Amino acid sequence: MANPLLERQINFLDYTLSSLWRKRYKNLAVVVVFAVVIFLLASFQLVSNGLLERAQTALVMAPEILIQKMTAGRQESIPIAYAERLHDIFGIRQVVPRVWGYYFDEVTLANYTVIGRDQVGGGTDDQLAQVLSEGRLPTAANETVLGQAVFRTKGLQEQRIFSLFRPDLSLKTLTVTGLFKKESNLLTDDLIVLSLADARDLFGLPDGLASDLMVTVANPREISTVAKKISEALPGTRVLTRPQIEKTYHMIFGWRSGFASVCLLAALAAFFIFAWDKASGLAPDEKREIAILKILGWQTADVLVVRFWEGAVISLAAYLLGCTAAYIHVVFFGSTLFLPVLAGWSVIRPDLHLLPAIHLADLLLLFCLTVMPYLTATVVPAWRCASLPSDTALQGG
Amino acid sequence: MRPAGLFLLWLCALGMLDVGLFIHGQQGRAQQRAEEPLMRLATAELGLTDLCVATEARYTRHPAVTDGVVPFMDHPGGLEHFPSGSFFAPPMAGPRAR
Repeated sequence: MANPLLERQINFLDYTLSSLWRKRYKNLAVVVVFAVVIFLLASFQLVSNGLLERAQTALVMAPEILIQKMTAGRQESIPIAYAERLHDIFGIRQVVPRVWGYYFDEVTLANYTVIGRDQVGGGTDDQLAQVLSEGRLPTAANETVLGQAVFRTKGLQEQRIFSLFRPDLSLKTLTVTGLFKKESNLLTDDLIVLSLADARDLFGLPDGLASDLMVTVANPREISTVAKKISEALPGTRVLTRPQIEKTYHMIFGWRSGFASVCLLAALAAFFIFAWDKASGLAPDEKREIAILKILGWQTADVLVVRFWEGAVISLAAYLLGCTAAYIHVVFFGSTLFLPVLAGWSVIRPDLHLLPAIHLADLLLLFCLTVMPYLTATVVPAWRCASLPSDTALQGG
Repeated sequence: MRPAGLFLLWLCALGMLDVGLFIHGQQGRAQQRAEEPLMRLATAELGLTDLCVATEARYTRHPAVTDGVVPFMDHPGGLEHFPSGSFFAPPMAGPRAR
């Protein structure tokens, strides 16, 4: 070997691996538990990143400003006449009343999102037709376009007519004229899109009311200024802006997102207690081994190098296995383990085959959270033992 | 072969698997990027505000347009109980215009 320093380290690694192999079942158990903890943390991070990325790209065209009426802390229907009070605000291009809401299907126990649409985005029907896998947009009364999951859950197959209940339990019959594409499932899976009049009829909403008002501004840079003027002009309303919608997704899918991440961090903490206990309390035979090595002429630094390699081999193996398994779990298995939590009791379950970007910062953060503490937990007790005189260590001191 | 050699061989094999997964991911992401205009079109034309991830509760179906306290609003002393609520952090910390 050309480099004696490298040869020396490889010899240490050889010795470490032989030593680990002698206690292979114990060490394998540590690697498996460690890898599972890293797998869970990495999977959670990948799912959050994947959803955040999809939200960032898809919701960049979300409504610029939404106005909701609030009464006693709850959102309720907003009078369309409120739009007239906004005429004086410079910078508003258009105010569109929206009718939308939820429909609970008692037969399938699924929740659908019903959206009334009359040229919301200012685009043509031909443009929106690109999002349809088959059929056309509603052009007449009682026609609808469905998301893939609604069509599947209702079990329509060849059938194109189905009914929903109005609040007074009378039936509203709808004809399916089109289906949204699978590619847009993450946005449209549970949608029932109707004309504005049909949505109003289904919900029993009076003509003068809407679910909320959507405001389009002339200059997107003025969104926050216009929103502030609106909230001053319409007391008792809540004004949401596109940047706030984007920020919401940053917050709900961030590192600190939700109770699940707390549970995972608790699992990580539990692992460290386990690792610290395993690594810090050196077994008598391990102490004897260190003492014999010192009698044979090993220096304290050599013992530390071996212990370092031991921790590095275990933690690196667990880290690589955990991260690789996490990626496979999220990309190829659609985050199967998290789906029961994420979908909860939803009958309509999302197709979570995400392809999250791999960020070096996330990998480093995970590395620092897992590998570094384990290395410390293994090297420090070995240093304490190796600093003792050999005869004391042999006597179990 | 020396133990260190075997270990390095194992690391290389795992590394190659990771490189393969990375290349596969890059190809899939290129296809995903091609779908983005479709998603934006749906968002703009339908006035959508949220991803369809969880449909069990209105505050997890549409987290962007609901209050942070909605999970506790159903009745006095009501507690958040939907499983998907454990995945989403409350969005209420964001500054609202009002």
